[in-house]
Amino acid sequence: MMNSLIALLSIGGTLVIYTFARQLHIRAARTFTLPVITSTFIILVILLTFHIPYETYMIGGDWINELLGPAVVALAYPLYQQRDILKQVMVPILCGALIGAIVGISTGILLARWAGFDELIIYSLTPKSVTTPVAMAVTESLGGITPLAAVFVMIAGIGGVLMSAGIFKLFRIDHYLGRGVGLGSASHAMGTAKALESSLVEGSISTIAMVFSAILVSILTPGMILLLM
Amino acid sequence: MLKLIKIIMHIIILYGIYLIGNWIQVALNLFIPGSVIGMVLLFIVLMTNIIKVTWIEEGSKLIINHLTLFFIPATVGVMNYFELFKGNGFLLVLIALLSTALVMALSGVISQWLMRRKEVPHDE
Repeated sequence: MMNSLIALLSIGGTLVIYTFARQLHIRAARTFTLPVITSTFIILVILLTFHIPYETYMIGGDWINELLGPAVVALAYPLYQQRDILKQVMVPILCGALIGAIVGISTGILLARWAGFDELIIYSLTPKSVTTPVAMAVTESLGGITPLAAVFVMIAGIGGVLMSAGIFKLFRIDHYLGRGVGLGSASHAMGTAKALESSLVEGSISTIAMVFSAILVSILTPGMILLLM
Repeated sequence: MLKLIKIIMHIIILYGIYLIGNWIQVALNLFIPGSVIGMVLLFIVLMTNIIKVTWIEEGSKLIINHLTLFFIPATVGVMNYFELFKGNGFLLVLIALLSTALVMALSGVISQWLMRRKEVPHDE
């Protein structure tokens, strides 16, 4: 009884906060007003203020989290809608995702080694550019700390989305293909959500880049760790 | 009301495909998560007309419109790791951000360059 009340409260609360955050984003339309950022911030403040543990929030939060699986499945829909365009741009997307995977793994390893962090942390950091379940699987197979891997995935997701406008300007990435590949390769599904705001095509390209990089990162990471550690 | 039932049916189908994806992952001992396998699977059955796009369209549109909602509970989980980022752990955040920026810049620049080369005729 108590548990279902808590579940209802945290699901309802999350939905209300998300709806409010979405309205705010529609009016303000800035990158830092992205609903995932403002909602997470508001929920964090509430939980910390009232000393509610994360595990208590997740009694309800798990129900929303569970829909992340079918949500990823649903990304096949924009892919299907854009199928004719995608056939012509497969090679640039694949090459971009491959470069992205190599750059992400190698800079992660080298920078963390240079800063003096130990192996366990480095194993948790390297797969940060891919979607959470893949990153956790990669970290687990290396013997790293899986919840920490999820935290780095979040940093890459939110950070990448926040930095994207600046990066695109600095490197003159103004083609929807370059933007889609950049967002999908660096910031997985959060980048894809951002790309979908621009257009269905950019979102679909980002989806493909995200899927390719998930596969590439899982294959390349063990070898590159041997090479660079 | 009819639309609501339609959307719920669509999401149940998506969830079913996700479960099949999970099952394939476990059965074949793959490192790719079930949700990604499910997405590839749905794409294949749509392309081959085994599933009609109208069976999943409304539900998919709704979910994709609100994609970021589903990240919120997992992202809130960062609260259990605040400790780690005190002191020099804060460097880890900088490293993750720098590495992410490099991935986005290089993958974007290369794919855009390849695309532009394809778009313009080769007689430049």
